[in-house]
Formats: sequence, structure tokens, C-alpha cells
Amino acid sequence: MLAGLQSWMQQAVAKPGSDAAALRGAGKWVRPSSTLSPEQRTGIYRGMYLLRMRDALTVDYPGLAHYFGPDGFERFVASYVKKFPSRSYTLNRLGDHVPEFIRRQRGLKRREFLYDMARAELAMTEVFDERETPALTPGQIAAVPAEKWESARLIPVAAFRMLEFDYPVPLYLEAVREEEPPPVMRPRRTRVVYYRRDYALLRLDLKPAAYHLLGLLAKGEPLGKAVEAAWLASTPRVKEGALFAWFQRWMSEGLFGKIRWR
Amino acid sequence: MNRWNLPDLGFGIGLRTTHFSHILENWPKIDWFEILSENYMDTGGRPLHVAEQVAERYPVVLHGVSMSVGSTDPIQREYLKKLKALAARLKAHWVSDHLCWTGVHGLNTHDLLPMPYTDESLKHTVKRVRRISEILERPLVLENPSTYLEFHASTWTEWDFLATLAEEADCGLLLDVNNVYVSSYNHGFDPYEYIARIPAGRVVQFHLAGHTNKGTHILDTHSDHVIGKVWDLYRFARQRTGGVATLIEWDEAIPSFDVVHAEALKARKFVARQRKVA
Repeated sequence: MLAGLQSWMQQAVAKPGSDAAALRGAGKWVRPSSTLSPEQRTGIYRGMYLLRMRDALTVDYPGLAHYFGPDGFERFVASYVKKFPSRSYTLNRLGDHVPEFIRRQRGLKRREFLYDMARAELAMTEVFDERETPALTPGQIAAVPAEKWESARLIPVAAFRMLEFDYPVPLYLEAVREEEPPPVMRPRRTRVVYYRRDYALLRLDLKPAAYHLLGLLAKGEPLGKAVEAAWLASTPRVKEGALFAWFQRWMSEGLFGKIRWR
Repeated sequence: MNRWNLPDLGFGIGLRTTHFSHILENWPKIDWFEILSENYMDTGGRPLHVAEQVAERYPVVLHGVSMSVGSTDPIQREYLKKLKALAARLKAHWVSDHLCWTGVHGLNTHDLLPMPYTDESLKHTVKRVRRISEILERPLVLENPSTYLEFHASTWTEWDFLATLAEEADCGLLLDVNNVYVSSYNHGFDPYEYIARIPAGRVVQFHLAGHTNKGTHILDTHSDHVIGKVWDLYRFARQRTGGVATLIEWDEAIPSFDVVHAEALKARKFVARQRKVA
């Protein structure tokens, strides 16, 4: 009996579609109260289910929630959890499939922009929750012999995500956070790294060549090779001083956690 | 004193992110904090960092919502492993969750869904609570949830079910006095009879909270001050249990730390008055 009852109630609470269809048959399992029918009593749980999912996704996707508006976001959440209901003990990862879900919504207006925004927001939640790994200290950097820098490989800290967008979505998200009207989103290639320092979530905007170089380093390319490849690929060619300045900034921001050399 | 000699921690509040800055800047004088397990199990970011600092300075307990004690799905071993590690990391005095289930067939509704109070449910839940306590290597503490419906199948009252479960599974109880009131309103039972039937020696913690009365039913929203009738019930419960750790829950429209703390201090003053009268 217990298994059957739980299967029925879960359907009544979380089954997508109309409330009437989901709650049909409640009288078989549930007693009426002096004020509410079995359907109404079960409906209390059903009503709270979507609200809970909406609240959780609003925390992780404030940009999408702002774009869709209250009613639109509720509809978005309903269709999302129909496809990706929670299978975890934590709501923290409920939104892990949102970018993928948006990418597959063929009829969705402004899909490319929304996909970019979802990727940015997911990356931010991941960086927020990543395990804490220490950044390279000045002492560790100073300990690398000068002749070994060319072959040195840098490993980013765990709370580190690089992303490239077709739209400048970080500006949209910044405006939403500041409760200001977001700018009109027109295509503009945008490259960022999200990272954490002293437990604060931070963003660094990157020029194309800087993004290329940082990407090569993050993939484990030796420093010398990465610098050469990034320099050769840059148009116009970046100045050596700029490369050095970027590198210094990344070190001071604590983007790298380890350095290896032979 | 309860049968495990778990301490009376005094009067605490739930640790909430909206209060992080206030706590870190002021280290307020408060007896203890309750930490929501699931919010700290899978993060290595600021929440865990703050929780660790709090746990260094105050007694803490862990309170969860996803153990799904009554579910017919298999026990979630990975979840319990992480919970056990978190409890050790934060030196939690005890670990609690609810007499409920949250989902079946691998899904999670993230709600505290009600159990039918039957012999089958009792046997099932006793077995699971015993197993969970073994895995956690500590007695589980179970809370009575607010419920909004009753099942035709139930042959036990909730209080007899909970009392028998606690005895047979040898677990502790977190008596949520507001939940007793909410369920008594929704189902039309006597909340004093409920509390009178709970084995006092197994109660290791009280919860108090505000709720939202919709007229036809009450929702357990944790969104307001504790009402007078719940304070009265708390007085009655305290007379039975003696000194037991008490916590104010506030989860919706969370006011400033000082307002929530003042509610906890209300409980302290209330108990002091009660002692004087006695």
C-alpha cells in the first residue's frame, strides 16, 4: 500500500498538466477536512511544488527570470521541470540543464541571447559553489627558475570558468543585479572569465587575444608555446608588454592555483 | 535530560545567508545556530566558509529536508555519507530531519510529504531510521512536519505513530510546536493531547515559528512571529520536557538578525518567567 500511495501522491503533486487531471482520484486516498475536499487538500502540495521550483531557479537564473517576467518565467519553469525534474537531494543543481533546455527550444524568441545568458548564469553558480583551492602565492611564483618559465604549465584554481558569448550578456546581468533597466542586447562577441577570490564571485572581461592565451594556459599548454601561439594568432599583433600585463593581472587575481615545470 | 544526554543548547536561530554579514561583523551573543544541511553539503564556497566560522564560535546542529526517511525508494547512501562528513566537519551536536518522504522513483519534489500512519509505514520507517542512525553513527533526531492532508489508510494518530516510531527506532525527537498547532488546525485534533503523548525523554529540540492562516487551513510558512497559542503550547511542552534546546525558524520575508534573535530571546524570557512562577 505504501509504495502505491507514494506513487499516486507524487503524480498528484508533480505531474505536468492540468491540476484537475493530476488531482483526479484524490478521494480514494485522502480524507476530506471540515473545510476542504480531498482534491483541495492535495492541491495545497501541488500548488507549492511549482512555486518551490520557480523560487530555486529564480535564485540561480535572475537574468532569465527578469527577461521572461513573473508569468513567463513560471511557464518556463513548468516546461523545464517537466523535462528535467529534480533527481537530487539538493535544489542547488536543479538548473544544471537550463542552457541545454533553451538551446533545444526551437520556437523560443531570442534563443541565442537567452542561451548565452543561461550559460553565464550556470557558470556563475558553479564558480560560487566550487571547492576552495588556494591561488599561487608570490613565493611559489618566485621559486620558479627563470629558465623554466618557458616550459612551465599553469593550472587554474577550481573556481574558474571561461566563456565566450555572441551577446554581451554580462552587461545585462549586471543591470539586473543593480536593479537598473538592462541594455538592449545586440550581437557582440564577448569573452569573460568568472572566478572567485576571497569567496567573492568576480568577472574579468577579456580581449580576443587574452582569451586565446588564457584558454591555452588553462588547457595545460606550456607558457612559452601558449604565448607564441596567442601572439601569432592575434590580429593586429599584440605587443609583448600587453601579454606581460595580462599575465601579471591574472596572477594577482589568483586565477592559477598550481605551476609545474620540468 | 534526554536519554542520550544531548545538551540543552539554549535559545538559537537558523543560520540564514541574509544574516551572514551581520554575524561576521558582530559575532552576536546568541546560544546556538541550526544549519540547513543541504545548503552546505555540495558547496565549497562562501556558505561553507561562513558555516565553519560560525561552528568555531557557537554550538551548531544540522537540520535537513531531503533524507526522505519514509520513502519506499532505497536509502540515499551518497547523501548520508556527505551528511555525516558535514556533521563531523562542523562538529554538529546532532542531526535532524523530518518524518516524511520527499519523492519516489528517483525524483525529488523537495516537499515534506505526509506519511500514512499504518502498521506497514511504521515497520518500514523504523527499519530505515535504524539503518540511517547506523550509517550516521549517531541517533537520528526526527521532526513532526506540518501536514495538510490525512489518508484514509491511517489507523494510527500522528502522535502515537511518532511516539512508537521513536521508541522502536530508538531515535530522538525534534518537537516542532508550531507544526503541532498547524496540523491540529488542519485536521481538527487537540494539540495538547498530541504533546502529552510524546515521550518527553526523547525530545532533544523544539522548533517555534510563525505561520499563515488561510481561513480554511494554515500553511507552515515560517514567515512571521510566533503566535500566542503556539507560545502556550510551548509552555505546556516545556513543562513536560524540562530544559530542551529551542530554535526560532524564519524562512520567508526574513527580517533583520535582531528581529529574529529577539524572537528567540522572547522564548528565553518566557521560560525564565515560567521558572519564577513554578
